Amino acid sequence: MAFTITIPGIIRLVVVRTPDEVLAVNDASMVERSLSGRGGLVNRSVAAKLAVFRTPDGDIWPAFRDRLDPLRVAHQAALEAALSDVRPLLRRIAPEIAELGGYVRDGAADRSLGVIVQQAVGRLFFANYTASEKSYYAARTLQTWLSPWPLRAFWIRRSGALQASLDRIMDLSRGDMACAHATALAMDNIVRSIKLMRRLARHGDNLAKIEPLDALAQTLRAPTRVVREARDERHVGPVRLRARSLVLLAVESARRQRPDPGFALFASAWNRCPAHGVVPALLADVWQAARADTGGSPEQRRDLQTDQIPVSKNPPTAAIR
Amino acid sequence: MSRRNDGFEFHAGLLQRLLDIVYRVINFFERWDRLPTLLAAVNLGVFRDRLRAHNLHHTGYGIGTSSDWSAGRERWRSPDGSFNSLDHPRMGMAGSRFGRNFPLPECVPDSGDELLDPSPREISQKLLARRTFIPATKLNLLAAAWIQFETHNWFSHGLPEPGNEFKIPLQPDDDWPERQRVDGCMQIRRTLADTTPRETWLGATPTFRNTNSHWWDAGQIYGSSHSRQADIRSGTDGKIAVGPDGMLLEDPTHLGVDLTGFNDNWWVGLSLLHNLFVREHNVLCDALKERYPAWHDEELFQRARLINAALIAKIHTIEWTPGILGHPALDFAMHANWSGVPYRVMRAVLGKDNEAAHGIPGSPTDQHSAPYAMTEEFTSVYRLHPLLPDEMNVRRLDTGKQVCCELVNMQGKSTRRFMEEHGFTNLLYSFGTNHPGAIRLHNFPNFLRRFEKVGQPLLDVAAIDIIRDRERGVPRYNRFRELVGKRRVETFDEITSIPGAADKMRAIYKHVDRVDLLVGLLAEDLPEGFGFSDTAFRIFILMATRRLKSDRFFTDDYRPEIYTDFGLDWINNNNMKSVLLRHVPQLGPALEGAKNCFAPWNVL
Repeated sequence: MAFTITIPGIIRLVVVRTPDEVLAVNDASMVERSLSGRGGLVNRSVAAKLAVFRTPDGDIWPAFRDRLDPLRVAHQAALEAALSDVRPLLRRIAPEIAELGGYVRDGAADRSLGVIVQQAVGRLFFANYTASEKSYYAARTLQTWLSPWPLRAFWIRRSGALQASLDRIMDLSRGDMACAHATALAMDNIVRSIKLMRRLARHGDNLAKIEPLDALAQTLRAPTRVVREARDERHVGPVRLRARSLVLLAVESARRQRPDPGFALFASAWNRCPAHGVVPALLADVWQAARADTGGSPEQRRDLQTDQIPVSKNPPTAAIR
Repeated sequence: MSRRNDGFEFHAGLLQRLLDIVYRVINFFERWDRLPTLLAAVNLGVFRDRLRAHNLHHTGYGIGTSSDWSAGRERWRSPDGSFNSLDHPRMGMAGSRFGRNFPLPECVPDSGDELLDPSPREISQKLLARRTFIPATKLNLLAAAWIQFETHNWFSHGLPEPGNEFKIPLQPDDDWPERQRVDGCMQIRRTLADTTPRETWLGATPTFRNTNSHWWDAGQIYGSSHSRQADIRSGTDGKIAVGPDGMLLEDPTHLGVDLTGFNDNWWVGLSLLHNLFVREHNVLCDALKERYPAWHDEELFQRARLINAALIAKIHTIEWTPGILGHPALDFAMHANWSGVPYRVMRAVLGKDNEAAHGIPGSPTDQHSAPYAMTEEFTSVYRLHPLLPDEMNVRRLDTGKQVCCELVNMQGKSTRRFMEEHGFTNLLYSFGTNHPGAIRLHNFPNFLRRFEKVGQPLLDVAAIDIIRDRERGVPRYNRFRELVGKRRVETFDEITSIPGAADKMRAIYKHVDRVDLLVGLLAEDLPEGFGFSDTAFRIFILMATRRLKSDRFFTDDYRPEIYTDFGLDWINNNNMKSVLLRHVPQLGPALEGAKNCFAPWNVL
């Protein structure tokens, strides 16, 4: 059931939480990714936050491109193709997968979890991508910037940390916006998933008992919320979207009501993630790597083949929504 | 600001910021058009500054540098409009893209079936079709011809080509000819696509290119390319070629149509104005040659062009506009735009560079927040087809006899024959004494709703007008209102008080946010004295002054070294009436007492 908050001049917000409503609103033609900032001070503040994800020459991060944007369509298709050959990509990041497996098994690693994940994700784009504490800090800064705490956001901008983080991420991504998005924002969902794997592994003999695909299903997480704007008024099913409402799709909340990984990843929607094949395989391999020394069967130890992962036909990660 | 706007930024002064706040308070209580004249005129200035700050958006140029220009020619207008801005030579050039008045993400077309919903044909039939002619009694038909004459100067999207047409489903009782249907649908060709490389920041916003120069350079007379200019010139004393009867020659590639700079959608109204201002050009050449006997053909042509274009701009600014928008504040504001305010103290206080005090001509050039370009939204608010009647009385000036003629027989390849049959003088007189249509719902000329045009399928121009706004991503009426700074309406009844119109719109659109821009503009209740809607007027406030303020030849280079002293005097001392009487002195009695030549003349 969606709920609406309207305080004239302050906020115009609709929060959508049930799976059917999330899918319907996500698919509605007048619900856009780009935010005008109209509707109230809060709407303006959120729009201003997202506006930083445009480079100085005006280019736009892929997750903020609108549905009909021909570049979004082209980039999505090209990236999907580049990330479709999963096995070679996972071999490329085998050291990071091993490190992550160690973390899941032992709860510790030589580097922080975020750095390892960021490097693994970055190396899906560039084989020699190197993450560091600084680069992960930059990613965390951008994630914090998008969090709903105005004072923190104010300080991040005022101190120059926001711009510095954007510059660092863009430098490491060599101008590739998809890489920047994946290594700054989307990677957080993988970090959350691996932390859940670690919690899962701590209990009893779960690590030996739970198969990788089951572990994947239990730990794959969707983004908490996705932001949209309704340009014009419309009813989408039972949800009334007033013009210029900020629309929050509570994806993770909806996913819990429908534990289909495909749903969590907008599998059948226009905004499916191009990395829908590689990320579930990566997570399954991490679990498998964690099990490597705990007596899993030889069959279980072998590399998972992509076609074994029944996540969905098009199961994206939280990378691009 | 990002480089999307090519580095241009609007800078508001302290006074502007203060007035902006003051007028937000005033407008909370009272609409601008109900304020006393001077306060209302200042209100318009405040609106204009807001629009300059927020409603100019660059879409890239989409074109390389011109080959029609060489150094040393910067004192003239180039044929294609390039190098008007010497720092940004592609700005406003023929072939460059239309800009936008709204942020680019707002200018995205509906997707899929929604693009054709509701059916443009149904709107054409139920909301636009003329049942009885509604005249605009404060205007004459010359005003209708004039605005088309001007829009031909400013923009053209080019002639649509076959392939990938829109297919508009038809109702079972639709009388659209069977032979014109494809799969039972009406076909509408798409706007010519912009095939130039897209900048990454354009997002989902479609772009289109203006085949004409964007500048107010009388390109409709002089053309927008070097080759077209060569076609129309006589090669002697800077003059434009005319026949022995003093009339324009026939275009060898379009029989029945005059040879001129831009002659698409040709009809008698255009022919009259083109012939009139070609005569003006040639008179200017004679006068310049007399004063500057050493000048050669090129110099004479280019100088006369500058003067003629400025005179046309002046007539548009202080005669046509107050004619169609008959509000005292607007009359005051448009005169201020051209020549400044009539208060000596205010002129002195505001300074010589202030556009409000001394007028835009001669003030510093300013692009405000984006490079100059005509915009898609501007072309949308200039869809003024209801101005055309389906028929008019053609009157003889000498005998007073009149005959009713259909407009469909005085356009296209029939134009020159009609001109020859009735004569230049009689037709000018007839246009001065007939009314155009009011720009309202149910007043779209019926001949245009089933219109045959050479090389095109049968056209329903009303349906085309609807689909053009949609395909080009121009927001629908309610969001358009919001984006020009007006409040959104909540109900159909808030838009219009035309009897029955709100019910019809509700039945067709279901929700007020779906109302098409054109329908909303035609339905909207008008401010006192206005000939078109206040919503359209907001774009007009911005763009009418921008055409002058952005143009080097109206601002930095509006000076004797470029125009000559003679030229500036000519512009100052002439108006539509003097032009008409110079070339057609027989119109004297008809124009006697006329303060505005776009108001109805005396019927003799």
